[in-house]
Amino acid sequence: MVMFLSLMIMSLLAVALCAVAFAAATRDEGQPAPQPERKLVLERPRFFAAPATKPAEAPLPVELLVSQIERHVRLEQAAAEAYLDRPTRDALHSRTASPFLN
Amino acid sequence: MTSVQPDILKGLSEEEASRFLALGIPTSLAARQTLFRLGTEADKAYLVMRGRIALTLPIQLRGGEEEVLVEEKEAGETVGWSGLVPPHRFTLNAAAAISTELLAFSRASVLEHFAAHPAVGHTVTRNLAAVIGHRLHVFQTMWLREMQRVVEQRYS
Repeated sequence: MVMFLSLMIMSLLAVALCAVAFAAATRDEGQPAPQPERKLVLERPRFFAAPATKPAEAPLPVELLVSQIERHVRLEQAAAEAYLDRPTRDALHSRTASPFLN
Repeated sequence: MTSVQPDILKGLSEEEASRFLALGIPTSLAARQTLFRLGTEADKAYLVMRGRIALTLPIQLRGGEEEVLVEEKEAGETVGWSGLVPPHRFTLNAAAAISTELLAFSRASVLEHFAAHPAVGHTVTRNLAAVIGHRLHVFQTMWLREMQRVVEQRYS
């Protein structure tokens, strides 16, 4: 009888301890923090591969820049001469093949 | 002597043109040799007899200064008319693009000749005005074209 009571008391103690441990483990679990909405972004299918990242353009050598300016001046002078030969609104604002305008 | 009739002598008789050309002092330049520099005092005008003169303007590029070719003058064309027109300062740089021969006309000798031959003075001055006026019109048109583009870029 004593043995039976001892086992029962120990079992009750074990159940009580488990209950306390469970309560302690679940006490801090509140509402889960809201997570930012995640969207699955799918790239549109395309035929060609994605373009490579454009590397930073190296500055033009000064000599090339000067030759481009001189070409611009020549073309603009020719356009101005053409306008003076036959002055019209279209001739005044005609476009040239200048590297600065294309 | 150039085979092309010089632009400032149009309308003169052969005798008048010869007398005027006799005022010029023959001058030779090697390739790339400077004829005059921007901002310097101008007391001579030049007539290109052979070769080519490059007229350039300085432009600031990446902290340095570069010469940009604006115009080239060939045989029969006048260079450095600032020597005859106030305020007598060159407004461009001039150098020989290749080996070049010119006639240099001092302002004093030209004015003296004009005083002695007013009809020649009238004709040459008119021709000079045509050369200057043409350049004015060309650069005015170029300026207007650039302004149009600036306006389009800024306000379109």
